Amino acid sequence: MPDVEIALAKTPLFDAHVALGGKMVPFAGFEMPVQYRLGALKEYTAVREGEAGIFDITHMGQVRVSGNDALAYLQYLTTNDVSKLVDGQVHYSALLNESGTFIDDITTYKISDNAYYLCINAANRHKDVAHLQAQAAGFDVSVVDESDNTTLLALQGAAAQAALQPLLDTDLESIGYYKFAQLRVNGVDGIVSRTGYTGEDGFEIYIPNAIAVNVWDALLQSGAVPIGLAARDMLRTEMGYALYGHEISDAVTPVEAKLMWITKLDKGDFIGKAAVETRRAEGPRQRLIAIKLVGRGIPREHYPVSVDGVLSGEITSGMHSPMAGGVALAYVQPGHAESGDLSVEIRGKQVAAERTTLPFVRSNVRR
Amino acid sequence: MTIPANLKYTKDHEWVRIDGDIATFGITDHAQEALGDIVFVELPDIDRELEAGEAYAVVESVKAVSDVYAPVAGVVVEVNEELEGEPEKVNTDAFGGGWIAKVKISGDGSLELMTDDQYNTFLEE
Repeated sequence: MPDVEIALAKTPLFDAHVALGGKMVPFAGFEMPVQYRLGALKEYTAVREGEAGIFDITHMGQVRVSGNDALAYLQYLTTNDVSKLVDGQVHYSALLNESGTFIDDITTYKISDNAYYLCINAANRHKDVAHLQAQAAGFDVSVVDESDNTTLLALQGAAAQAALQPLLDTDLESIGYYKFAQLRVNGVDGIVSRTGYTGEDGFEIYIPNAIAVNVWDALLQSGAVPIGLAARDMLRTEMGYALYGHEISDAVTPVEAKLMWITKLDKGDFIGKAAVETRRAEGPRQRLIAIKLVGRGIPREHYPVSVDGVLSGEITSGMHSPMAGGVALAYVQPGHAESGDLSVEIRGKQVAAERTTLPFVRSNVRR
Repeated sequence: MTIPANLKYTKDHEWVRIDGDIATFGITDHAQEALGDIVFVELPDIDRELEAGEAYAVVESVKAVSDVYAPVAGVVVEVNEELEGEPEKVNTDAFGGGWIAKVKISGDGSLELMTDDQYNTFLEE
């Protein structure tokens, strides 16, 4: 086979990352910074210990859903109860297959009764958009993929609001947790939501590509610290938040992934509902547990997990937490979720572990 | 970072310092820089016999797990236990306090070793 060079996409902030010493790596089809000059640990610490970290997460996708049937359509396509959203509210949700397994996990923003905005995972963008468009037949909706025009920044950490407020007329104090405001930034539309995936207070900011560099630079001027993918994954994993391709995939349903809280079986029909009900009645095929190493080492993705010396499953996300030590999420056999001696195989050796509760470190989100 | 003249270097970016029949091993500043923040070091057992080129330790950064190879053959006589509590010493003092293990040289082999000048040239290539 001839060598195939896969062209990686660049976000509008590519040059800014390189100028800041960003170590660029392939990620979900983009060249993204895994860390900057500061290094992953100090970036992580900046976010956890009171600063504002700024993350380019433009690789994620955005889809605008509008039309008279927008609510009915999203009720049928997504797992959470969209009828409960008020204008200016966001919720975490998912797209399932008929088999009840995940196409993606998403966030749904309600702009008005006939207008919604979805944020989807980068690696699933084309699959999601194809699914959303195929299912639109029979509904009076328009489904528009705005990913290529949209820059998404996350600003996370205790100082996030102070860093962002000078750029905006909107009073950020008025935006509650999982709420958002529509903005005019330099005469163009955007969205700012009090959301994130770090366990700290902060915002996600959707803006047109044309002003990405200006907003990025202004936030750096406000003292925000650029944060790469490595620190982002540490912050995410410490909260026990699920990530597609790790805890969530087309091999598991919300019953396994502990995401029944976003799967509303009482809201009417939706794609995958029947399969989820069946799985719930039968019981999960595996259980997601939080574990902490007792022995020395770092539990990492795909390391085997045993219970009472018998192979039971594997780690889906694992890390060395500066605050909590070796911590991980793992799928194990259903009967092993609550009892039995746990161990993680690290380079051929069984290292003792114990069950723990999430989050691994304290969450500071503003409830 | 200056590359010390009293050490020898491998193409895998390990260093070795030979004092009589004892060899001290570590990884170079270039290696730690490429790995990023080191958060765990798995040290070899004392008395373990190492062949030249054998993976004898593991350094783990936030994102990566990397084997470390023995520049010369020998028997492990001492390990840097400080790295169990302060693995970041490999980052901050790669050629000094970040040493990993000492072996008694067995004379059973050696990787191709470079002088500081040769290693410098190797890095520039």
